[in-house]
Amino acid sequence: MSDPANAWMENWLDSQQNYWKAWAEMAQGGMKAPEPARMPWSDGINQWWQSVSHMAPPSGRDVFDKLMDVSRGYFSMAEKFVNAAGKESGLDTMNGWLENVQKTWGDWMQGGNMFRPDAKHKDMMAFWDLPLDTWQRMAANIMPMPGDFTQAFHPEGTTQTMDQMRGQVNRFLSIPAVGYSREQQEQYQILAQRMMDYSAAVNAFQTGFGKLAMETTQEFQQSAREMAEKGQGMNTLREIYDKWVEMSEAAYARFVMTEEYQTLYGRLVNNLLAVKQQMARMVDQNLEALHMPTHAEISTLQCRQQEIRRENLRLKKDMKAMQQQMEALRQQLLKLEQQPAPAKAPVAAKAPAVAKAPAAAKPAAKPAAKPAAKPAAKPAAAKPAASRAKSGAAKSK
Amino acid sequence: MNPFDIRPDAVMQEVMGYSQKLSHGLKNLMDVGEISTGVSPKTAVYHEDKLTLFRFDQPKDAIPSKVPLLIVYALVNRPYMTDIQENRSTVKALMDAGQDVYLIDWGYPDRADRFLTLDDYINGYLDRCVDVIRERHRVDKINILGICQGGTFSLCYSAMHPDKVKNLVTMVTPVDFQTPDNMLSHWVQRVDADLVVDTMGNVPGEMLNWTFLNLKPYQLMGQKYLGLLDTLDDPEQLKNFLRMEKWIFDSPDQAGEAFRQFIKDFYQQNKLLKGGLEIGDEEVKLKNITMPVLNIFAEQDHLVPPDASRAMRGKLGTKDYTELSFPGGHIGIYVSGKAQKTVPPAIGKWLDERS
Repeated sequence: MSDPANAWMENWLDSQQNYWKAWAEMAQGGMKAPEPARMPWSDGINQWWQSVSHMAPPSGRDVFDKLMDVSRGYFSMAEKFVNAAGKESGLDTMNGWLENVQKTWGDWMQGGNMFRPDAKHKDMMAFWDLPLDTWQRMAANIMPMPGDFTQAFHPEGTTQTMDQMRGQVNRFLSIPAVGYSREQQEQYQILAQRMMDYSAAVNAFQTGFGKLAMETTQEFQQSAREMAEKGQGMNTLREIYDKWVEMSEAAYARFVMTEEYQTLYGRLVNNLLAVKQQMARMVDQNLEALHMPTHAEISTLQCRQQEIRRENLRLKKDMKAMQQQMEALRQQLLKLEQQPAPAKAPVAAKAPAVAKAPAAAKPAAKPAAKPAAKPAAKPAAAKPAASRAKSGAAKSK
Repeated sequence: MNPFDIRPDAVMQEVMGYSQKLSHGLKNLMDVGEISTGVSPKTAVYHEDKLTLFRFDQPKDAIPSKVPLLIVYALVNRPYMTDIQENRSTVKALMDAGQDVYLIDWGYPDRADRFLTLDDYINGYLDRCVDVIRERHRVDKINILGICQGGTFSLCYSAMHPDKVKNLVTMVTPVDFQTPDNMLSHWVQRVDADLVVDTMGNVPGEMLNWTFLNLKPYQLMGQKYLGLLDTLDDPEQLKNFLRMEKWIFDSPDQAGEAFRQFIKDFYQQNKLLKGGLEIGDEEVKLKNITMPVLNIFAEQDHLVPPDASRAMRGKLGTKDYTELSFPGGHIGIYVSGKAQKTVPPAIGKWLDERS
């Protein structure tokens, strides 16, 4: 019986191969071969993954998901080259793609967040959107709303209208609240303002990457020209992809060390957190109204508890030092008692300071058994030396 | 000449090969089983809150150094990187080099740990771990090996408790947090650390992951997975990849107050180098570090640039300062085959000469 993970793929690959073979034979045989059909590889790989992904174990599922994301882009590139076969050169195909990337980002930057890319354009933006895309996924994990919630703002009109509208909304949000629910109204106004600020920060961040994308495509074209002049070339998709990544990383590394990026980064992080902070404040107000413990109150308690723990640990340390000092004194006293009585009383008041020398403390004591903070911190761990932990056994997440 | 000489039949073959690797790789993935990390046998010798202090079990006939070695790892990511697999274990290689190795596992802080400060970590947890080891071995001083942020902690600790540290080894440890090539530092200069901590409490590990991945986003979030294709048919290599992937995304949340101080005092104000850094009630002065110091850094480190570590030179109070440069990256310095053969033996030799 065939392996189900492979069976679908094998059948699909066979059909693709048969089709291609037939097409190539017709072309080579001097017949007028039909224009090759579009090779729906990226769709095919999607379908394959949808049909087999449930078989992937949890430990490798995420990795394969990421591999599939990359594969879609890779296959999409392959489609472009094959679909252009016989019609244009590889250089023309590549240039066409690069120009499309530039146009897409150009349109986006002109239209701001009112530009709604279709699926094809989204594909072209996806590579450069990687940092923002992962940021939004991360944001979704720490916010009670989707990470890309700013994408839902689709005001109609031109950029100019958008700016005007923003100005008007800002003015509206700054109207002083009045009446019985004044404070609540103010809180909602602050939240709306912060969400708009965050949306603007996301937009600015993406615009920065748009500029970077356009610069990189120009550099890539320049690099291709130089390669051609030197008689060098690339024969595989993988070579092109690796070169593209290498040049993109180099351009990115320059960009992110600029003052501009530092500002964009700071704005993105700070504005997201400002939204979250305002949300938390409003949740706390509601909790308070319900006579439930608020986040702020719990934080206060945690802070005080930590202070008490520190104090407790300090006292324990002091007590241990005193115990050691007492023990040293006791030993000294014993020695003195064992000595014959001197003619004059000895000065026995000064004991040697031993507080900070555990290694010098009484060797017969069993120090390993009772480290200072252990018993109070975790009574259950009174016999830690006996518990044998294999790798990861102590993980307490 | 056409620089993109891509023939359609060659593309077809490439796509076929790619697809076959994918489907066969999935089969290997299904058979891969549990991904183990932290492979060397070890014994928990001390617990406190989320922290566990481990001692690695010595082979039967081993006679390790009389001065034990404590590894202080960063709060960011998990310490099993030092012992990630049988043939890539800094810990194992250190034991082979005759060291008696202890390791602090800081655990995963939760909201109850939000108010832990750097003072709690360094003069609290770390100091008590050092005391436990001193008592167990009946020695006044132990050797410390600090890694990355753990190296910075170890420097602070050694400056404040020089009487408890015999030798200090730092690996990929930042001292100058504002070298011109430090991406992380450049990015956080305008981040409002107070807003982050006051809002989030603890700082989510996902947030740090995002930052680290963005050091090289197109390689780390794209190309790396394409490279995986070439190893998918080898179950052992696939396992190694997944093991590393597990480590990369296994990021504990950061205790809020400690994070606040680390960003503000170290990254934004560079106080460790410039002076004025206070941990608890005490000022940290690098000149107080009088014990021998071995400073190891990686030449292609994109997280802690070599200059960030080299800045230690001339700033310490010790007369016995040694540098060891490794031709690799921030992670390669623990896990590459070359590192295994060179770095731990060099540490062992250096320590033996001084213990």
